[in-house]
Amino acid sequence: MKFSIYRYNPDIDKKPYMQDFELTEVEPGMMLLAALLKIKDTMDESLSFRRSCGEGVCGSDGMNINGINGLACITPVASLKQPIEVRPLPGLPVIRDLIIDMDQFYQNYREVKPYLIVNDPMPEVELPQTPQQREKLDGLYECILCACCSTQCPSFWWNPDKYLGPAALLQASRFIEDSRDQATEERLSALEGPFKLFRCHTIMSCVQVCPKGLNPTKAINDIKKMMLKRSL
Amino acid sequence: MSSVYVLHGLKPWLIQRVSAVYIALFVIYCVFALTTAGDTGYLQWREWLFHPLNTIAVGLFIIALLLHAWVGMRDIILDYVHNTLIRMLALNLVIVVLISSGLWSAKILLLSVAI
Repeated sequence: MKFSIYRYNPDIDKKPYMQDFELTEVEPGMMLLAALLKIKDTMDESLSFRRSCGEGVCGSDGMNINGINGLACITPVASLKQPIEVRPLPGLPVIRDLIIDMDQFYQNYREVKPYLIVNDPMPEVELPQTPQQREKLDGLYECILCACCSTQCPSFWWNPDKYLGPAALLQASRFIEDSRDQATEERLSALEGPFKLFRCHTIMSCVQVCPKGLNPTKAINDIKKMMLKRSL
Repeated sequence: MSSVYVLHGLKPWLIQRVSAVYIALFVIYCVFALTTAGDTGYLQWREWLFHPLNTIAVGLFIIALLLHAWVGMRDIILDYVHNTLIRMLALNLVIVVLISSGLWSAKILLLSVAI
């Protein structure tokens, strides 16, 4: 099985380059992460990438696989056209090989204040929700922040410092929709302006690549609808 | 710079959608008017335009088209032009071109129905 992997070590390389590898032993059902680990173990131990849980829960091993962002640990190699081209997630600076600098991504996430804001005195035990109120968070809370969506989004590529990107906006929606949150007005006001939210042109690349099957475009449109209702 | 990004986020987004709906309906109306018209030519066109309903419809279409073009060009410039000075120049150039086109269209429209 043939691989073409993006390599860049800023201490040694002047420019990034693609390195070919050929893996002879491919087990049935093998995931890309397992293949990369095998390449690292048996061929080139300097190959660098992030990984942790290995089962699509932690979101560490987001990478660009044959042009489409995804998690290596839940992508079967058998489903991929050869040579399998593996690159770092696009649009953010590369630290080394498949490892990107995610500072900007986390900064955008922080900007939407991804936590409950409650101004009333906190109840002693809990903030109850009806099942219907809780249902509104389905499809929003499951995000694992792997950055596959934001780094597949051209609007994020062009203005990563101004446009928040689908991942952060999905989280904005998650707290705007939450019945317990009391900062809906402030949250909506903070997203007004030409850049933070409205650089989304609904091309839906985020929906296409989300490894958790979430729909940031719908979340973004729901925020726009809420803004519209509020302004009427 | 806020004045350059005229109208912020939600309003341009709304204008883009509302104008798109009007433009689509107007185009359908035009196709209908053209296919049901007997003779076609300059005089018939002026006669058609002379009807107050059509004068208003065409006038609104011009306004919708200019607004739609403004939001679209603004989006392209905000997406791709990152140098502040060039961005400002480009946005202003678009405004000048669109307003000029609007005035010119208004002149044609008003002169066509003047007599």
